[in-house]
Amino acid sequence: MSLSKKIVLLGHFGVGKSSLIRRFVEDTFTDNYKVTIGVHILKKEVEVTDKTIVNLIIWDLEGNDDIANTRPSYMLGTNGIIYVYDLTRPTTYQDLKKDLDFIKTNYANIPIKVVGNKKDLVTNVFLKENEDAFQPYTDFFTSAKKNTKVDKMFSTLAKDLIL
Amino acid sequence: MLQELKKSHKKDFTQYILLDNKGNIIDSDGVFYSQIINKNISSLHPFFESFSYSLSIPKKELIFSCIHLNTDKGNIISDILIKTLDDDNALIIIQDLSTHYKNYQLTAQKRNESVINSQILELKNKYLKEKEEFKNNFIANFSHDIREPLSGISTFVEILNKTNLNAEQKGYVNLIYASSNHLKHMIEDILDIAKKEVGKLNLVEESFNLKVFIESLVLSHQVKAKQKSLDFELELDSKTPEFILGDPYRLKQILDNLLDNALKFTHKGEIKLHVSLNQIRANKASIHFKVSDTGIGIEEENFEKIFDSFTQLHQEHHIQGNGLGLAIAKSLIELQEGTISVTSIKDKGTTFSTNLSFKVDNSNPQKVETNSTIEIKGKKEKYHILLVEHSEITQLAVLKILAAKRKFYLDIVSDPEDVIPILENQNVDVILMDINLPKLSGDELAKQIRQLSDKTLKKTPIIALTGKVFPEDLKRYKKAKINEVVSKPFDEASLLNAINKHLK
Ligand SMILES: Nc1nc2c(ncn2[C@@H]2O[C@H](COP(=O)(O)OP(=O)(O)O)[C@@H](O)[C@H]2O)c(=O)[nH]1
Ligand SMILES: [Mg+2]
Repeated sequence: MSLSKKIVLLGHFGVGKSSLIRRFVEDTFTDNYKVTIGVHILKKEVEVTDKTIVNLIIWDLEGNDDIANTRPSYMLGTNGIIYVYDLTRPTTYQDLKKDLDFIKTNYANIPIKVVGNKKDLVTNVFLKENEDAFQPYTDFFTSAKKNTKVDKMFSTLAKDLIL
Repeated sequence: MLQELKKSHKKDFTQYILLDNKGNIIDSDGVFYSQIINKNISSLHPFFESFSYSLSIPKKELIFSCIHLNTDKGNIISDILIKTLDDDNALIIIQDLSTHYKNYQLTAQKRNESVINSQILELKNKYLKEKEEFKNNFIANFSHDIREPLSGISTFVEILNKTNLNAEQKGYVNLIYASSNHLKHMIEDILDIAKKEVGKLNLVEESFNLKVFIESLVLSHQVKAKQKSLDFELELDSKTPEFILGDPYRLKQILDNLLDNALKFTHKGEIKLHVSLNQIRANKASIHFKVSDTGIGIEEENFEKIFDSFTQLHQEHHIQGNGLGLAIAKSLIELQEGTISVTSIKDKGTTFSTNLSFKVDNSNPQKVETNSTIEIKGKKEKYHILLVEHSEITQLAVLKILAAKRKFYLDIVSDPEDVIPILENQNVDVILMDINLPKLSGDELAKQIRQLSDKTLKKTPIIALTGKVFPEDLKRYKKAKINEVVSKPFDEASLLNAINKHLK
């Protein structure tokens, strides 16, 4: 059985949305930042169980400081959401709770994974010290650069989509 | 004619695709995707896979802007319109707006990069600041702890020097003395820098004779200059006021550091200290100090750097020192709202100048006695001193100093709980008390003594012996009604002077 599911990546610009997708789809990474404008769409098949393959259609959205400004057309027909913030830049997670509330109100019942990216740049001590800011909301700490938890994060979401 | 021209110059920016409600392509022109008739729309690009469901909703119009597509004609950035028609068919219009969006991309790239960079910079600064703070606190606390054992060394070397020693032993004792003094100065330097950084460096204001002060200050530098076969010149302008109000210890530190620096980096020629009056206004004298040398000089690009803590520009010259002298001089000058400047020519010499303001003291003050053979003043034949101290080193040090005077009985306890019973049973004249006591801190103990019911006992003078002399510590001692604080490491004079003040 094969299913197509659309997922979108949300979050401020520069947090690593495109890099996570590139790591997941092409298994590559670059330190050079290239801004995303509008949307890039990529796809990758994920085998969630022996029999089920999910064809993930991944929408890589332009980063936005204010989630409310996300173009609604991009969100149409979305089956899953990945919200990414940057562990090294507090501005990208200081409104985490507010943004997640916004998503829950406007896209109710859509599975979501919250991801703190660039884990390679912070220490475990840092994560521990900032536990209160991260822990209650975060599903994965990832690194697109070091390929930490990237596949795991996408495939966990894929599983949630077929439930 | 125009039609012909139009045709040959026309570039197609738009593709129209007609499809049925299952997504099968019925008709299209081949502007971006060619030979697609009868194929399913979803095979063109994953974009078209995401909304096949909406094709079955009649009379719906969706617009997607800024979609990246890779087409048979290359990558484009497009706006896409999807419109379901009355007849179960749908129309898709792909419009290439690459030129427009690429401009936008350029601006966005610049804007985002600068935002990210400034955020990262801000974070880095914050991190550096925290690190610096940690370092300074660490140094302050650490230097502080070192003082106690060092105090023991200095005191006992002093005492040892007064015993019967042969010439060889005396020589060694002097060496120990010199080394421990050097160490003590270095620690004090480090402590000063750290205190300055954490905002704990304080200035005192007292009256002193500037001329006498300068003359005695240069003595030791003159000796050092002579040892290096350098000339030393002092120019003291006679117009400078005689008595001024200020912090002579800090002024000494500033000038000592500048002179030491000059001596360090000069190998022939002369060192000069010049002191003159700029002006007196509203009873404040602005005094100019200038230290010049004929040493190795500093390159202009390093003028700023030399005032940084731990910077040593002349590594190759094997010159000893901790590189803190100039940093301390600068911070002390800034603390007094002065400025320091440097001019230098490589291999010719260097001049440091600073202007500092002092109040002029017109009250014709007395010279303070600083005699080392201190006489015990009180009328009694002998005084009873109680020392509360758990460190054996300090116990012995106090014992030796007091015993030499033959005017004291000394009681020593190390347990603060023994103090009040002794006070109640004996006539103690003065209590010498360590603050850092086991079980009960010195200031707490002082509070208990001050609360005794006996009117005489509760007023027994208390002198604290402690290494903790930050402003907030002093405040605490004052609150506990401690009469006097002698900071560790102490010497004979400071201990005896403090005791003297409280003998009746
Ligand atoms: N060290 C590190 N850098 C990353 C990571 N992910 C992304 N980056 C860098 O962060 C910048 C922004 O990444 P990008 O994927 O374009 O972010 P987007 O705007 O959210 O799509 C780029 O310079 C990436 O190289 C990561 O996991 N670790
Ligand atoms: Mg991106």
